[in-house]
Amino acid sequence: MNINDLVKGILNGDKRSIARAISIVENSDDERRKDIIDKIYDYGNSKIIGITGPPGVGKSTIIGNMAPMLSKKGKVSILAIDPASPFSGGSILGNRIRMQENLSKYDIYMRSTSNRLYEGGLSEYSWDIIKILEASGSDFIIVETVGSGQSDVDIMNVADLTCVILAPGLGDEIQAVKSGMMEIGDVFIMNKMDKEDAYISIKDITESLQISNKPDTPVIGLNSITLDNYDSFIDFILKWNNKNTERRNIRKIRQIINERIFTIYSGYIESIDKNKLLDKNPYGIADDIMKNFDGLKNKYLEK
Amino acid sequence: MLGGRYSVNGKSQKYTEKPIKILLAKPAIDGHDRGIFVLARAFRDAGMEVIYAGLLPTPEEVVETAINEDVDVIALSLLNGAHMTAFKNVMNILNKKGIRDIAVVGGGIIPDIDKPKLEKMGITGNYGPGTKLNIIIEHVKKRAGEVRKMRENEYK
Repeated sequence: MNINDLVKGILNGDKRSIARAISIVENSDDERRKDIIDKIYDYGNSKIIGITGPPGVGKSTIIGNMAPMLSKKGKVSILAIDPASPFSGGSILGNRIRMQENLSKYDIYMRSTSNRLYEGGLSEYSWDIIKILEASGSDFIIVETVGSGQSDVDIMNVADLTCVILAPGLGDEIQAVKSGMMEIGDVFIMNKMDKEDAYISIKDITESLQISNKPDTPVIGLNSITLDNYDSFIDFILKWNNKNTERRNIRKIRQIINERIFTIYSGYIESIDKNKLLDKNPYGIADDIMKNFDGLKNKYLEK
Repeated sequence: MLGGRYSVNGKSQKYTEKPIKILLAKPAIDGHDRGIFVLARAFRDAGMEVIYAGLLPTPEEVVETAINEDVDVIALSLLNGAHMTAFKNVMNILNKKGIRDIAVVGGGIIPDIDKPKLEKMGITGNYGPGTKLNIIIEHVKKRAGEVRKMRENEYK
């Protein structure tokens, strides 16, 4: 087996090849990632649907319900991200449980990954994973973020369509006008419409949108038990035509450059004399390192 | 921006080694899931990425999940006495698909007399109640290491 067979497998939509390629992307170095991405970059054209929202509002459940409906319109793949433990680095990936039944039935590829403590709601290599899913011929890629706090907004840099999922009872109209997550939605979904106060919550969100800079953003109420109103959500997704490629790629370039610079410097930084660290102002040390940039860079390129 | 750092015993660590990915499953009609939850936490605390397949997955679903998620190890647990058939079904499906680079370990209420038979199928461990968690973790790490070695130079 070599990398070309793997690429061929990805392009043919073979699940084992896709799965293995994603593992390689997650676990290897810059060079291996580049190898794979170089070969598949030009393939595929998917609509990337970002699903974000606080923990427990029903993101996984909604994806489990919408994926089969979308799969009538084209091939669907799912990437779901769960948080890692800040103590051990391990993680429990639980998104799959709520979708498994439909995944097998509709032949949908789904991958759960840990965010490996990357901040912002996605994982460090989400871009690469999405690229692999795209090359595998997906028409829709659903990306589920970590259950997010108000400041986890990375998904807006990656998704073509960002859906913010909410549930009744998360807070009053003050919460609805706050910045961060409440600004990034191209559509807001109120799940659990069977709950008390659901309509008041929709009213709060709608009102706060009307005084924002995106007054036309729709708010859709869903009931995930009866599947009420899912058709209007699916219609909205199908009609959505914006592409977000520019922002997605800028984010990735930034990451790659950061990683490479880090590779150049990290060994050097760790090798700084302890006594110097105690004596000198960090700004001064940083200035010294930057002055030496060319030398370090050449050392990296030689490697 | 630069990958995560986590702390083990107060010391900051970076992801240098790739975490072991393990799938926990009870591939038959068995609702005794307290044990598997304890294990899920223990594996997480040992730095692994853990997927729990939920209650009542079929052997087919277990293998499909393992392939989709590209796990290193499948850990099967049954406390209802169906291990000789259910575990075997999982192994048969893996063999039929020609998958040799996923390790399978077992556990639950497994009589001593069945253990050699399971080992022969390639299902190792087969620990019962009361086994120390670190013994199980060590075993999983050992099996995952073997699998990793097989995969190491697969794609060059």
